[in-house]
Amino acid sequence: MLATTKPLPLGLAPLLAVIAWMSGVTPAAADAAAEAYVQGVLNEAEPILSETDEDALYDGLATLVDNYVDMRRVGLFTLGQYARKMTDEQKAEYLPLFKTYATQIYQNALSNYSGQKLAVRNSIDRSARDIIVNSKIVDAQPGDQFGDITVHWRIYRNRSGKMVVVDAGADNVWLAIEQRSQFTSVIANNGGGAKGIDALLAQLREQVGE
Amino acid sequence: MIVKSLIAAATGLALTGAASAQLSDAGDPEAFARELQSTEPDPAGSAGADPWEGFNRKMFAFNDAVDGAVFVPAAKVYRATTHKKQRKGIRNFLANARAPLILINDLLQGEFERAGETAGRFVVNTTIGFGGMGDPAERMGIPQHSEDFGQTLAVWGASPGPYVVLPFFGPSSVRDGFGAGVDTLLDPVFWISTTPARHTSYSRAGVTLVSVREPLIEPLADIKTNSLDYYASFRSFYMQARKREIANGRTNFDDLPDFGDFDEFDEFEDTEETEENK
Repeated sequence: MLATTKPLPLGLAPLLAVIAWMSGVTPAAADAAAEAYVQGVLNEAEPILSETDEDALYDGLATLVDNYVDMRRVGLFTLGQYARKMTDEQKAEYLPLFKTYATQIYQNALSNYSGQKLAVRNSIDRSARDIIVNSKIVDAQPGDQFGDITVHWRIYRNRSGKMVVVDAGADNVWLAIEQRSQFTSVIANNGGGAKGIDALLAQLREQVGE
Repeated sequence: MIVKSLIAAATGLALTGAASAQLSDAGDPEAFARELQSTEPDPAGSAGADPWEGFNRKMFAFNDAVDGAVFVPAAKVYRATTHKKQRKGIRNFLANARAPLILINDLLQGEFERAGETAGRFVVNTTIGFGGMGDPAERMGIPQHSEDFGQTLAVWGASPGPYVVLPFFGPSSVRDGFGAGVDTLLDPVFWISTTPARHTSYSRAGVTLVSVREPLIEPLADIKTNSLDYYASFRSFYMQARKREIANGRTNFDDLPDFGDFDEFDEFEDTEETEENK
């Protein structure tokens, strides 16, 4: 059974920090600030996920995604090595298209949790600026399709300390990683380079119905 | 019998090929670690882990056509003629029937605690779970997990080899395709040649097919609708999920691709900031 995370007694935290510093190792650790950030997002998601009207659900999720997911950063990540090869014109067209596309994906994925409540369980920092926060459905019933699934949030902290969501996943399967696989495949299979990027843009336009 | 001989022959053939091609890194923990780290095909999305992309795409299209023409309609009939609870019972039954095979693979991987769980689940579910239709073991806190010989080979250090889409069976790798052949041979029912046993085998295969496909009708349709490149999308989902299975849930997130190396992205950030400052 998973242990619930309890806040450390306040007096203990500095002591642990000193021990970690003295031992000279920085093991993957939890990141309380990132956990609190994600819990905030999940609290905001709760009334949206309880919407019974589908349009209201999808609109609410779109707003949530718009507020917290850094689509520019995700969009550049999904281009892989091609991010640097894009012209400014291509980038100006790509980023809004990507945002529309990825928002739809997030809406579909999150609508699976309609009627459920998610809560943060723990977190692992890959680095001080790249943190994975894990969440699960609260009070999952035995029949719940997603009852056992861990929903991950990948949080990026920029140099000024501001946090954003850069990826979401379920049981170690990540959305942006899958999108990158698709996008780089489309570009590579259409001649790579500028020509491949144009092909990707055309397919994205078609996909989002523009 | 012909089918069985073919499977046995194919497995034997794959063994010789796979042994020379795949086991060259066997036993090298660093190679295994590297393999666990490379979830993704080459960023170019082609070469790297999918050198057979041309063949694979054709096979994927073939499977997709068969899926649409046969499997999905069959799964829909199955859904229409059974109740949700019955389907759950059938899923439990099929999972329980796989337990001996999972147990063998647990042991071959040296996962004795998980082997104990598998054995415990099998005993509990076969007895008080009405022959496996129920899953009282889950309620008793013995979680279910799955294993196959492909995963065992991975634990032993065999690298997956190229990604391959098998006709009818779908996405796999050279290692896992070979593993599936071995699993067939490890299944006791495979070696019993009486008529009832043969019928049992065929019915089990048929029911497994619709039972696995039924809950995936909508999710797979969604992925197909939402993807620009269904093939690449499926490949990524498959590879990510497969890596999780092999790691037996002990993933540590260190092996995720970096979200761009940060220097590169900081540069973008700077650009963005300067643009905003203009």
